Amino acid sequence: MIEWLKSVISDPGILSAIEVTFTMAVCSTAISSVLGIMLGLLLEKFQFPGKRIIVRMNRTLMGVPPVVVGLVVYLLIMRRGPLGPLSLLFTIKGMVIAQTLIITPIICGMIYSYARKAAPGIRVFAVTMGASRAQSVLLTIREMRREIYFCMVTGFGRSISEVGAVMLVGGNIKGRTRTMTTTISLLKSQGIFTEGVALGILLLVMAFILQWVCDMLQKEEEQDENY
Amino acid sequence: MKKKVLAVMLVMAMGMGLVACGGQKDEKKEDTKTEAPAETKKDEAEDTKKDEVKDKGKLMMATTTSTEDTGLLDYLKPLFKEDTGWDLEWNAVGTGEALKMGENGDVDVVLVHAKSSEEEFIGNGYGVERFPVMYNDFVVIGPKEPIAKTDDINAVFTQIINDQLPFVSRGDDSGTDKKEKKIWTELNLDPSADPNYVESGQGMGATITMADEQKAYCLTDRGTWLKQSKDATLKSELDIVCEGDKNLLNQYGVIAVNPEKYPELNNEGANDFIEWICSDKVQKLIGEYGIDEYGQALFTPNAGTDS
Amino acid sequence: MRITDLEKTIGKFCLKVDDLYIEPGKIHGIVGPNGCGKTVFLKTAAGILKPDKGSIDYEGLTSREITMMFQRPYLMDTSVYQNLIYPLTIRKIKPDEAEVDRMLEKVGLLGQKKQYAKSLSSGERQKLSFLRALIFHPKLIMVDETLSNLDPESEELFEEMILEVQKKEPVTWLIVNHQLDHINQICYQIHHMEKGRFLKS
Repeated sequence: MIEWLKSVISDPGILSAIEVTFTMAVCSTAISSVLGIMLGLLLEKFQFPGKRIIVRMNRTLMGVPPVVVGLVVYLLIMRRGPLGPLSLLFTIKGMVIAQTLIITPIICGMIYSYARKAAPGIRVFAVTMGASRAQSVLLTIREMRREIYFCMVTGFGRSISEVGAVMLVGGNIKGRTRTMTTTISLLKSQGIFTEGVALGILLLVMAFILQWVCDMLQKEEEQDENY
Repeated sequence: MKKKVLAVMLVMAMGMGLVACGGQKDEKKEDTKTEAPAETKKDEAEDTKKDEVKDKGKLMMATTTSTEDTGLLDYLKPLFKEDTGWDLEWNAVGTGEALKMGENGDVDVVLVHAKSSEEEFIGNGYGVERFPVMYNDFVVIGPKEPIAKTDDINAVFTQIINDQLPFVSRGDDSGTDKKEKKIWTELNLDPSADPNYVESGQGMGATITMADEQKAYCLTDRGTWLKQSKDATLKSELDIVCEGDKNLLNQYGVIAVNPEKYPELNNEGANDFIEWICSDKVQKLIGEYGIDEYGQALFTPNAGTDS
Repeated sequence: MRITDLEKTIGKFCLKVDDLYIEPGKIHGIVGPNGCGKTVFLKTAAGILKPDKGSIDYEGLTSREITMMFQRPYLMDTSVYQNLIYPLTIRKIKPDEAEVDRMLEKVGLLGQKKQYAKSLSSGERQKLSFLRALIFHPKLIMVDETLSNLDPESEELFEEMILEVQKKEPVTWLIVNHQLDHINQICYQIHHMEKGRFLKS
């Protein structure tokens, strides 16, 4: 089993797929987290006409099929599309754009519902402590860090597991935009199941490690503060 | 109050789901057992002139994307049902995967186009016998510049390598992909020498779209190309730059999956299908398919030959 | 502190304060039946709720010198110590460790200094919140029933600590109480509220 996994992982095509997957997932998670957390907190904090519709739209977008997003992004960035001159189609950048559009609403929606529960209390507390606006926002983020970690891990998980949009926008080009999931899809279409399963296991292991690292980070932080 | 409404809605949704499932089951039962009365009723209603053809059930086929992409199967399916009573269903995948499905006993019959793999499939005991059905041909499409249209595949591929022109290969081990690789090998050319040679790992349609997008060259079967260049929302900016070379012919074969390996398979249906598709009547239909729509036939029937 | 023509409507409830003078440096009690608007008044006075109308003259106090304690205090997702020094942290003041330990000792929380704050019992939480309000030396402290429902020992402890503060540097206290609370005895003045209004005493 280990030998078999080793032989699969040492394949240069697979290695490149892992690299592409990670580059893409790290970039799209980072961008989506910044956008999603910001939007989620803003949405919670401010009351404005049409807010309910925005929240409802956000909920809808949380469940939008990735291929639909993939198609829309494809149409935007294709050679004859409005953003065609930027030549983003079939590049990792293009894939990151599509994934950001998929993940941001998810993070935003999750942060919004967490913040609705937690933020008002934190804000009142901040006022009674005489905190400035910036300090109040900072405190809100600090107090919600577990939820934020969780959202980010969820986002990352979505990113590495997503296949539809990545296939459409990235084009599954060998060595350039071929990710682990599109490799699995291709292997399956070639009737090669064993390596596909190996890659699947690898993805699971990665998700597990990620979760574990995240837990570790959280624990360490707790300890740091316990002096 | 709200909670109650929610609960009622949930229950209703679940109920509907169950009913829908049950309904499907019932339909299936009807298909296999109680089809006779339904059939007679239908016959009376239609005042039929034909012999009575009973619903026999489902026939599962694995085939290549090209037969689906060209619309040939959608065209044949109702005719097959009318003539034999079998409901043809298919999974359109690459030749490699289609044969794998046959090897795993997931399908009753395969319709693919990679002669040597097919013979190996039979050699390994998974298939009974291979019958040639028809052929279509491959074309090289791409921008008009710098390659001038020709019928010499050697010249085209050599120029692609020498000038490092962009080329999108399917790279998915499909029949078309195998064909392309075979041509490179036969011409003693190494595509990896071209840094602009990429593998899409996707089906023919997606690969053509990608080539169009990248202004690249690409090898495709004529059928998919004709259909796609006609149906695509955005008109393709590519044209055929090479056609007619004898290296570019593509032979389809049909094989029943061996019932000795998988006795539960629908071998009767598979044999009916093979007999039907090789019959003069259907061969003639295949030869006419596409003329109305594209101005030329997509496939050339050749059952009974030894291609 | 003087409050004039203050109005705040929340749903059907309406708080109306025509003219109220809170003498600085003294302990003021506010009593009244449930739902008479004590908490709304405190929150408005503390600047948490914005009044619809009227004004509050803090007589030179800034928002950084005002604090409010709740019956169920908010504790940050960190240690007891970090919770305690938070007001200093945001003011960029280095805490006097000896003073911090002395305060914790006084309420019997020194042993839990490094413990996770959310693991404290409700009584301990109130004590921590009380210390946290005192640590940055505010000039106006509002207390929303924090001192009700305490066991007699704790009640005595809090009273003692309030008086200790008053001895050192007098602070204005606005304490919402129940009618019969022991703490009323240390109040300089008791304000009675009913249906959103203060009764003339």
